[in-house]
Amino acid sequence: MQAMVESSDGDLARAVAARAAAVAEAAESELYRRFAPRVRLYGLRHLRDEDEARDLSQQVMLLVIEKLRSGAIRDADQIASFVLGVSRTMTKDWKRLDWRREKLRETFLPASMVEAPARDATLDLDHLEACLARLADRERMVVLLTFYAEKTGSEVGKELRLTEGNVRVIRHRAIERLRTCMTSREGGR
Amino acid sequence: MLGCQAPILEAVLSDYWTGDLHDGDEIHRVEEHLFACSDCSARLRQMAELGAGVAALVREGRVSGIVSRAILNRLQRDGAHVRMFWLAPGETVPCAVFPGDDVIVAALRADFSGVDAVTLSVTGPDDAPFGRCDEVPVSGRRGEVLWANPAALLRQLPTMRLELTLTSTGAAPTELGRYVLEHSALPPPA
Repeated sequence: MQAMVESSDGDLARAVAARAAAVAEAAESELYRRFAPRVRLYGLRHLRDEDEARDLSQQVMLLVIEKLRSGAIRDADQIASFVLGVSRTMTKDWKRLDWRREKLRETFLPASMVEAPARDATLDLDHLEACLARLADRERMVVLLTFYAEKTGSEVGKELRLTEGNVRVIRHRAIERLRTCMTSREGGR
Repeated sequence: MLGCQAPILEAVLSDYWTGDLHDGDEIHRVEEHLFACSDCSARLRQMAELGAGVAALVREGRVSGIVSRAILNRLQRDGAHVRMFWLAPGETVPCAVFPGDDVIVAALRADFSGVDAVTLSVTGPDDAPFGRCDEVPVSGRRGEVLWANPAALLRQLPTMRLELTLTSTGAAPTELGRYVLEHSALPPPA
């Protein structure tokens, strides 16, 4: 298994395509472990819904592994691009894919291998609350409008009478401060 | 598995995540990189996790300081119980935190004509500082500043008087309004 962890994406894709019994299954698992969280993030970014993002990641990976198994992916070294391409297509067609999801779910991989990627690790919310309170008022407003109200930079700018460029700078600085605070042992405490 | 040789800038990552990258080619490049790079996708995951944490805090009513109408509206849509107290300059309003309240908001009205930003200072008994918010953007003759606090926090306060003052920021600060909240501590439910 350690060898799989150290393999390149392309090597893993080739191992799946070769269908050598013992190796292929481990390679599939490693590919899934590697790419499913990235697809989930892509889904979160484009669908803004945790459950849909998790479903998307499952379905994309099922389809990718199906294609690898059937030899339909010619350039194994481009597997990341292929996964992205499938993610894009599926996201666009998401509403029309209900039938296909079920079909794929029933047809392919063993359930033990396709556990949906876990939600992100739980943050220490008490600590985050303290870190948030330490931001300047304007930074906190930008962070709340961005992550809670899900406003874009230009929408935040209209609310706070700032330019979009200013909002982006403030937001970037605020995220850095939050990140630093969250990783410091005493931060926010 | 080598580390990333050309990491995506943090500012670009946050712009991507918040939908503020407008150039389709750049979005494409960022996504190609994220799918191929475990380091950068891990950084994006951390940012997403931070954002999800912030949203979770607000949904739980754990929000302090100045908020906007958009945030209040979203809170109410999410089912949070927001209790508001409206105050005009010079007004004294009795207030309390009731069972079931999640967030308490003091809506301070004032004439903000010609003013871009204000400072809110809050003092408790004996003029002890209770809170302060700087550079709060405002606008209009009939504007408002929304000061929010978690109900859970305010429930712990004894009966007390809070004085709130709005002052314009800039070279010659001017007092725009003074408000009083007479807070009554309610006995805990039996």
